[in-house]
Amino acid sequence: MSDVNNGISRRSVLKGAAIGGAGLVAGGSLLAGCGKKKVTGDVHFTIRGNLSDAGAKIAIAANDAYTKKTGNKVISQAVNSDDFQNNFVQIMQGTPDDAFGWMAGWRTNSRADSGLLADVSEQVKALGSSLSAAAIQGATNPSDGKQYIIPTTYYPWGLHYRKSTMQELGLNPESIATWDDLLKLCEATKKKGLVGYALGDKGGWEAMGTFDILNMRLNGYQFHIDLLNGKEKWTDAKVVDVFTHMGQLIPYMNKNVLDISWDGMRDLLLQKKCGAMMMGSWFANDFKAKSQEDYDDLWIVPFPEINPEHGVDSIDAPLDGISVAANGKNVEGGKDLAGFLGSKEGIDAAVAAGDTNIYISSDFDTSTYDPFNKQKLAVLGAAKNIGFFLDRDTRGDFAGPVVGPAIQSFLKNPKDLTKILDNTQAQWDALPAL
Amino acid sequence: MKTTAANKKVRSRRSLSRNDRFTLAAFIGIPTLMQIIFLWLPALITIVLSFTYWNGINVSDIKWAGLANYKNIFFGTPVFYDALKNNLIWLLWFTFLATPLGILLAYQIDRKIKGHKLFETVFYIPVVLSLAIIGIIWNFMLQPGGFVQGVMGRDIGNAVSIWGNYSINTYVIMGVASWRHIGYIMLLYLAGLKSVDPSLREAAAIDGATEWQTFRKIVLPAMRPVNIIIVVITIIESLRAFDLVYIIYGTSTAWPLLNILVFQNFAGQGISMKGAAYAVILLVLCIGPILLYLRNVFKEDLK
Repeated sequence: MSDVNNGISRRSVLKGAAIGGAGLVAGGSLLAGCGKKKVTGDVHFTIRGNLSDAGAKIAIAANDAYTKKTGNKVISQAVNSDDFQNNFVQIMQGTPDDAFGWMAGWRTNSRADSGLLADVSEQVKALGSSLSAAAIQGATNPSDGKQYIIPTTYYPWGLHYRKSTMQELGLNPESIATWDDLLKLCEATKKKGLVGYALGDKGGWEAMGTFDILNMRLNGYQFHIDLLNGKEKWTDAKVVDVFTHMGQLIPYMNKNVLDISWDGMRDLLLQKKCGAMMMGSWFANDFKAKSQEDYDDLWIVPFPEINPEHGVDSIDAPLDGISVAANGKNVEGGKDLAGFLGSKEGIDAAVAAGDTNIYISSDFDTSTYDPFNKQKLAVLGAAKNIGFFLDRDTRGDFAGPVVGPAIQSFLKNPKDLTKILDNTQAQWDALPAL
Repeated sequence: MKTTAANKKVRSRRSLSRNDRFTLAAFIGIPTLMQIIFLWLPALITIVLSFTYWNGINVSDIKWAGLANYKNIFFGTPVFYDALKNNLIWLLWFTFLATPLGILLAYQIDRKIKGHKLFETVFYIPVVLSLAIIGIIWNFMLQPGGFVQGVMGRDIGNAVSIWGNYSINTYVIMGVASWRHIGYIMLLYLAGLKSVDPSLREAAAIDGATEWQTFRKIVLPAMRPVNIIIVVITIIESLRAFDLVYIIYGTSTAWPLLNILVFQNFAGQGISMKGAAYAVILLVLCIGPILLYLRNVFKEDLK
């Protein structure tokens, strides 16, 4: 048994004992774990992104910490994130790396059902109470109750802006409470010659964030999830309402929404060309990589309330983590590395390398977070319901091929809305049963 | 022993020697076998799969769908018609603009007009680049924050919308694609023109034919085999267009083409056999020009 498992389990026992009965479970896993051999051998790891990215350096630092701890070499390779996602099924059926950064939700659960991912329930159990019940719930595959991803980080989708820009404009986004406040803020920003509501949708997914939050604010989390799972209709007046609100934002958007992707949005904010930008906070690593000054200037607030019935009770907060390929050469090694990356030691190594993500593990001391991360936690804390983002909350053959083009068509020509929604529903109805 | 050897000699004189037969079998058999394994078999499997529901992972999950995928495409997917329209625009543009321009250029260069070496080089350069590289180059030039936008003094916030502006993006894409296609056609035609007997043209000139008459009545008919190849290349290039647009737009179907739809539905994150159905539709569209080409090739051989 490796030192890694030992340390975590002991901590789990102590914590479990404090809670009570849970200690028996953790103790049981400790005993079960002791019967096993020490995990050895090289572990192959896929980094999603470019080697020059801040994220890759962080992943390599964490992997090096694992090597130092166990003596097992980690061989990392960087793969373009889009290519990895697009070819995921083919890669996993070939000779995949043992472990890789992955995303919870449909993308994990559906591939686990097909037998492409290895069960990491044991490693999740070993992490014990450092993971909240909600995090474990989010990482659990509903079809068999097992975990196929070790949840590590998450991030909120919210309105990002630069404090300095807003100060120069004499605006305070933290004071916006309603839809009208948001429109007024956009109007005021636009009047000063900046983009009011920065958006790019060339990639076809970026505007899903705006759709998600409008739907959750207007119609509530349950309606949103039901819609994405076929229990509600896209032709519903409630969905029309969502797009009508999106349409009200169009006059404040940059005029080249379909020309820029997420990185164009990031650059708009980085170059102080826009006021508010609806995006997941993960791009903050790039601000930090640019300069500490840019990073310190970045801020996030929750999307304002629209329907008092739902307030600001929901948010998109995609859960990321580490998954292990079922067809990898060293599955046990992959699981061991994944467990390490989710543990305190792994997190410490990543944070030391400059990671600005917020970690799920309660082993990580949030009091050391910088102000931006504390604000992210506050934004997350304001919400009761957590969505994973549209393309993880619904089927893969629906999100990309159907919803993406539908939102693009709407941004291109808002007058076509009825036709677009009729067609979206028709395409859902034509999907084969899973 | 001797008699059998003699017999063999007699037999081989009548037909092919053993060695010849082996060589022939290897030269025809191996490529045929590879074609069957790597082309026909996958094509047949794709055709069968286009009538099923499947997520591409476990064979046991394949379910019969009948015509459902095709019905979905023809009656429920407006983006299919957008793609068809774009492929058609591509075809028409290449047929009536890019290809004739390439032929004209080749003809002028072959006449050794002033500076023909320079023109030849200038138009030839894009041909050595793949369309994917051309996509990267022009995307870098025209995208917000790109070189051309910078020269115009536009930053990312007020950059001129080009790829996302639907009243011009089609023309820009066609222009970029033609940039290479013109040179490609020029090169093919130039090679063909070299083989046209110059005495034919001289004779026409002596008879008082104008330049246009010479081209139409003498050069064009003499170039028939090359013409057919160029027609087929133009059609196939238009139908298989993918890389340039994929580099610019990715799998988002902001400017759809049939091949992008195949990729998005077959190899992307949401694998479904709708992608196989798109591939079959594309195959059917391609077969026409291929048959035309083959018929022409065999006709030449029979002559």
